[in-house]
Amino acid sequence: MTLLRQPERAATSALPAPRARSTYRWSAWGFTAPGVLIVAVLLYLPFLWTTYLSFTRYNGLGAPEWLGLANYEQMFSDPALLTSLRNTALWVVGTIVVPVGLGLLIAVLTYDMRFGSWFRLPFLIPYAISGVAVGIIWSFVLQTDGALSQALSFLGLPGSDSRWLLDAPLNTFVMIGAAAWQASGVNALLFVIGLQSIPKEPVEAARVDGASGVRLFRSILWPMLRPLTTVVIGLSIVASLKTFDIVWVMTEGGPGRSSETLAVTMYRETFVRTEYGLGAAISVFLTVVTLIASITYLRRQLSERRAV
Amino acid sequence: MKLTYKNTRRKSVIASLAAGALLLAACGGDDDDGDTAGGGEPAGESGGEQVAESGTINFYTDKAAWEPQFDEVSAASEEAVGFDLNFSGYSDANAYSAFIKQAFRTDEKPSLFTWHTGQPLKELVDEGLVANTSDLWADALGNGDLPADLEQYYTVDGEQYCVPLLVAYWVMYYSTDIFEQYNLTPPQTWDELIQIADTLAADGIPAFWHTNVLFSFVWFQTLLAGTDPDLYQRLSTGEASYTDPGVVEVMEMWGDMIDKGYFSAPDMADDPQTILKNGDVAMLNFGTFFTGQLNSIDLVSGEDYDFFIIPAVNPDLGATPLIFETGPLCVAEEANDRAEAMNYLDWWLTADAQTTWANSRGDVSFNPNAEVQDERLAALGVEASTDSYQLIERYFEATPTSILFTALDAFGQFVTDPGDPMPILETIQAEADAHWGSQ
Repeated sequence: MTLLRQPERAATSALPAPRARSTYRWSAWGFTAPGVLIVAVLLYLPFLWTTYLSFTRYNGLGAPEWLGLANYEQMFSDPALLTSLRNTALWVVGTIVVPVGLGLLIAVLTYDMRFGSWFRLPFLIPYAISGVAVGIIWSFVLQTDGALSQALSFLGLPGSDSRWLLDAPLNTFVMIGAAAWQASGVNALLFVIGLQSIPKEPVEAARVDGASGVRLFRSILWPMLRPLTTVVIGLSIVASLKTFDIVWVMTEGGPGRSSETLAVTMYRETFVRTEYGLGAAISVFLTVVTLIASITYLRRQLSERRAV
Repeated sequence: MKLTYKNTRRKSVIASLAAGALLLAACGGDDDDGDTAGGGEPAGESGGEQVAESGTINFYTDKAAWEPQFDEVSAASEEAVGFDLNFSGYSDANAYSAFIKQAFRTDEKPSLFTWHTGQPLKELVDEGLVANTSDLWADALGNGDLPADLEQYYTVDGEQYCVPLLVAYWVMYYSTDIFEQYNLTPPQTWDELIQIADTLAADGIPAFWHTNVLFSFVWFQTLLAGTDPDLYQRLSTGEASYTDPGVVEVMEMWGDMIDKGYFSAPDMADDPQTILKNGDVAMLNFGTFFTGQLNSIDLVSGEDYDFFIIPAVNPDLGATPLIFETGPLCVAEEANDRAEAMNYLDWWLTADAQTTWANSRGDVSFNPNAEVQDERLAALGVEASTDSYQLIERYFEATPTSILFTALDAFGQFVTDPGDPMPILETIQAEADAHWGSQ
């Protein structure tokens, strides 16, 4: 106790006089003000403005007209929103299963392999391409009688007559595949960093005890990777909930709104149909969904870690 | 000066507050000096304001791909009236529309900008955002630089706003190679057109291009206007229903044509001009601005491609319906250089300006006095003004925005999976009821 109190006393005696403390506080406010202002002006104000707009009718000109909850009523009674919700859920699940799963597989198979980094490099290259460019490239691959259909036909495999981008929900599945092509490499890189940061002792001890392959992964590597897995999956959930660019470029959410995600629906209502109020309502809804999904996932993961 | 601890802290407080103030100033912007647009040599006065005799006018458009063509016009205008254009092009029409609307809320109103006729123009006029051009119209109608037919599309509540940026007629472009290969000639009647489509379909070649995104309306307008132009026009004013038997019949005809293999897959990723060049389809139903796009990939009019006016579906119509579109060039009412921009519009309407503009793009001109170099386009311009043709406004401009985008989705779905058209027509009509009910 004595040892603990000594620094406190020392700290107390080092404090400046009350006037100096006041000046110090003002100084602190002054230094933090720019950052606080940036956050307030660029994040909080737009969010509050968007929330306000969601209760109005507004086409971008003049003054917004107060509507109350009408936009929310219209949004939830629109069958297109249900399709959009379903597709967004597919994107969330698909993004976790495919790019995260594939990234993990690539990482586990290559992290201690000789020349493993050279093997991982091709998977990383697509990450350098923008989502729009990925969409354009895959549009050519997946169009009717495009490169994929021709390749399947040449190899005598089934599916060459599939309408990859025209039939729902097939179009959503293949677009998730295109996104996985881009994102798997970076997920693999993150998992490799996680695997390389695992202490060697428990892994070698497990190997000495005869564990290898799936058993080693399930009992040693996977539990020790968990902090990183939480981050990767958390980021993937947020990214997949706001999926926009690749869908917009490849199908514009069509045909007949069949491949829309919530972010695409929000964009269409706001900027295509110039229903800013309705678009804002979808935006608020998407924000709430993203927050709930992220907080629920992270809380569960963190509480499980504490329990462990 | 002795530097004390107290002084240092006071300075740090002042410095940090100054940093905050600077940030605020940077965010706030400042346009008290009213600089930029229209900057140039002041000369005359207009309404108490000095009007420059030369300078640069800020110009905004969603036709970013036409920058070289606008550069040509800019050079011509600089020589003729002393003003050139500071070009800002957007390639995304939605982003552009949002930008223009937001620009009206700032001190930098768009001096010259392109827009759309129909409801989008009326929205700007209702808010008092665009300059009245009635005087320009009166002068140009008087000296023949503008045809009287166009005036209605620029008239809101009896006054004119903006002037035409362009007009385009929707015709059928075709690959001369494919036509020669199958010994085909441009059709004079709808039946002949269908015979051509049958010939090509029998050999597995799609006769027509179509798409399930933005331009999904094109064949609907062609078939409906070609069958019953009166119904088409009543549909655009809310006097007719999308579930009208006449509309249903047209949709069934469209579905039948798709089922017979007349159309390409609606998800082709290539540009339409590349599709024609590659011979992926034989014909494309397009606006005459397509000539410029074809020329840009080194295709030659009359050699590699040609076009014909689409015959009416209904042979009993007195005049053949010819779809046309016109897009406006506008001046913001409160632009810093409103007077200079209005003078620019005055020059824009002249035959010299329009000769440069039409030929730089390879398109027809709205000005009958302009000299269009492409013989086929020049002939079309003359032909279109005769009694043999009835000009019909393009569906995109003729239809109110909310109905339009519901219809585009519905047509996109229909061209992908043609079947019973009634469910999608009911969806469009529900949107139409909501729109017209709120007017």
